[in-house]
Amino acid sequence: MFGHNFKCALKTLFKNKVLLFWTFAFPIILGTLFHMAFQDIESNETLDVIDIAIVENESWKENKILSHVFDELEGDLFSITYGSEEEAIALLNDHKISGYLILSDTLKVVVKENGIDQTVLKFVVEEITETEEIMKQIAFRNPMKEESFYQNLYSMIGQIQNENKVELVDISNQNLSYTMIEFYTLIAMTCLYGGMLGLYVVNQNLANQSHNGKRIAVSPTPKWKVILSSALAGYVVQLVGIALLFLYTTFVLHVDYGNDILKVIFLTLMGCFAGLSMGIMIATLFKVSENTKTGIIIAFTMLCCFLSGMMGITMKYLIDKNIPILNLINPASMITDGFYALYYYDTFSRYYFDLMSLFLFSLLMILLSIRSLRRQKYDSI
Amino acid sequence: MTVFKAYLKVLNKNKALVILYTVLLIFFASFNMKTNSVGTFVAEKPNVLIVNQDENRGITKSLIQYITQNSTIVRVKENDSSINDALFYRDVSYIIYLPHHFRNDFLSGKNPKIEVKSTGDYNASLASMMLERYLKVATTYREVEKDEASLVKMIEETLDHQVDIEMTSKLDSNQLMKARDFYNFSNYSLLAGCVFVICFIVASFKDENIRKRTMVSSLDMKKYNQQLLFANGLFALTLWFLYVLLSFILVGKSILDFHGLLFLFNSFVFMVVALTFGLLIGNLVQNKEAIGGIVNVVALGSSFLCGAFVPMEWLPDFVLKIAHIFPSYYYISNNHFISSLEYFELSWSFVMNIGMLLLFGVLFILITNIISKRK
Repeated sequence: MFGHNFKCALKTLFKNKVLLFWTFAFPIILGTLFHMAFQDIESNETLDVIDIAIVENESWKENKILSHVFDELEGDLFSITYGSEEEAIALLNDHKISGYLILSDTLKVVVKENGIDQTVLKFVVEEITETEEIMKQIAFRNPMKEESFYQNLYSMIGQIQNENKVELVDISNQNLSYTMIEFYTLIAMTCLYGGMLGLYVVNQNLANQSHNGKRIAVSPTPKWKVILSSALAGYVVQLVGIALLFLYTTFVLHVDYGNDILKVIFLTLMGCFAGLSMGIMIATLFKVSENTKTGIIIAFTMLCCFLSGMMGITMKYLIDKNIPILNLINPASMITDGFYALYYYDTFSRYYFDLMSLFLFSLLMILLSIRSLRRQKYDSI
Repeated sequence: MTVFKAYLKVLNKNKALVILYTVLLIFFASFNMKTNSVGTFVAEKPNVLIVNQDENRGITKSLIQYITQNSTIVRVKENDSSINDALFYRDVSYIIYLPHHFRNDFLSGKNPKIEVKSTGDYNASLASMMLERYLKVATTYREVEKDEASLVKMIEETLDHQVDIEMTSKLDSNQLMKARDFYNFSNYSLLAGCVFVICFIVASFKDENIRKRTMVSSLDMKKYNQQLLFANGLFALTLWFLYVLLSFILVGKSILDFHGLLFLFNSFVFMVVALTFGLLIGNLVQNKEAIGGIVNVVALGSSFLCGAFVPMEWLPDFVLKIAHIFPSYYYISNNHFISSLEYFELSWSFVMNIGMLLLFGVLFILITNIISKRK
């Protein structure tokens, strides 16, 4: 009987197009959209060469030091256009440059608006002009000036700054791509959407939900056999869906799940189980129509995914930082955090904690379902 | 008014969805609510975290002070995992670990290593430039000044030196950006809201039994269609009005000028397109269960690809090329154009985009007519 029902449930599930769309196709479509929209975000956030202009007036031509310094910076930090002040203003108004420099008595920076490029420009100009200040300060402390003093001083400062450096050692983790979180929430969403499969198959067995259920209720088969075999069929379909999504995201979208593939698989199995048990719980506990139950699953899943960062990656961090309890009971966040831990951290304690939380969540869901299904009998319906 | 009343009845059943989209919109729009001053230049401040393992005095104190003045210091729990999380989620762009005995080692002429963690983005680059600048000035002066107090004073005097900076635009670009992002996001809400509700209701009216019953009734079909169109139009208009109202509440006075008017006009045209599109899908699809899937794919797809969620300038070129086939692209392009306007001016591209939107609308109506005639 177990095998027979399992087979039937599997067949019904694979024939339900709407369910298959939400659990198979939708995550893949969404993943593709994420990939297309987010693939350039992080590279856009690095500091690019900044377009600036320099007004080439008499004072600029005379000041050899400044023109030499900016020649050195050309290409690395700045892309410089030289011209008259009118040309510079026109470029600025057309958003072709971030700002321009004009030298009269002092060096002045003109920008159109606030921004990071403008701040960097200001910063670099300050740094360049402060060498003059440094020379003054040192000269002040050396009253004995020979003729070549200033020339020597300039090269001395350069030498000190180049040779005698306090070294900055970058110890940050290489896996810092935060858009990965989007894909992890996508996996979490798919796991929880699997609840719809659980819901659908269990509904087929409930006397108050379908004609099928009524017939099954009067049959002599024990209820646990029917429910368990149906749930197992749901789980199998769910695993097929998530396996497709994994293959697609890994090989086509190049999502990085970290190096420990076994742990990734284990987390996914647990995540799917959590989604399925949640679906069964909603199917058995709520005495409402199937559409409403599906609505509850979708709304709950979307809320969980929202809190775990699907609609804005910082959301998960904000919750973790301010209301951590919310994400400790949120299954989508447990799954997302598990993947995040595998991707970003070298240690596994966080991963195991997430895994354990998922297990507890599933257990709770199943206990609730058993409690509401036990001894459910109808004299008439 | 029977049809109209029936329409409202079906709508009432779907109010949860409309509320959901609206709440989402408010949330996203109110997400980036920083204000900035207008007219004077304000330097960007990167988010920095300093983990100081040294005593907070002398040169160490001065270094921390300098960084603090020029950046936003973020406070997180002092454990590795909180700090690492903050870096990953970009709460902090740059973390500076000042080692034990930094002050002593530095003053005695050694060059202590400073460990840093960086997200590698422009904020991190700026923070790194800041730290390097301080250290450069400090190492230079260390060669000529041995007394710590004077050394600190010299460094601070030099770093205090500010360049003369002038800002030409008096435009409140921050507020306009916010308005732009709000209207860009409304691409999703308007499209999803209009298409879903209209589809759902049209599909309800197209239900086999109901359609047959309506057909045998004495109701004039022309009137029936008119009422249905009127009701749909009214719904779309209400939705649009709600979002416009919200934009004025959220973004406020800075768009109470021609910017606001243009945003309003542009979104109105887009609303009309969304309405015609909803009617088209409603006529194409009979299966109510499929509507949710179609709406999500269409609304999310065009929103992601046309720059409703991610700014257009950050999208790869090939994505923007694909985006040309969606009306959303022209709507969002116009939003970008409006937000960069300093004074009222209708450029050719703005008019062209409006034309394209209207063209889409006409196209959708034509296809709808062809389909419904065939049936």
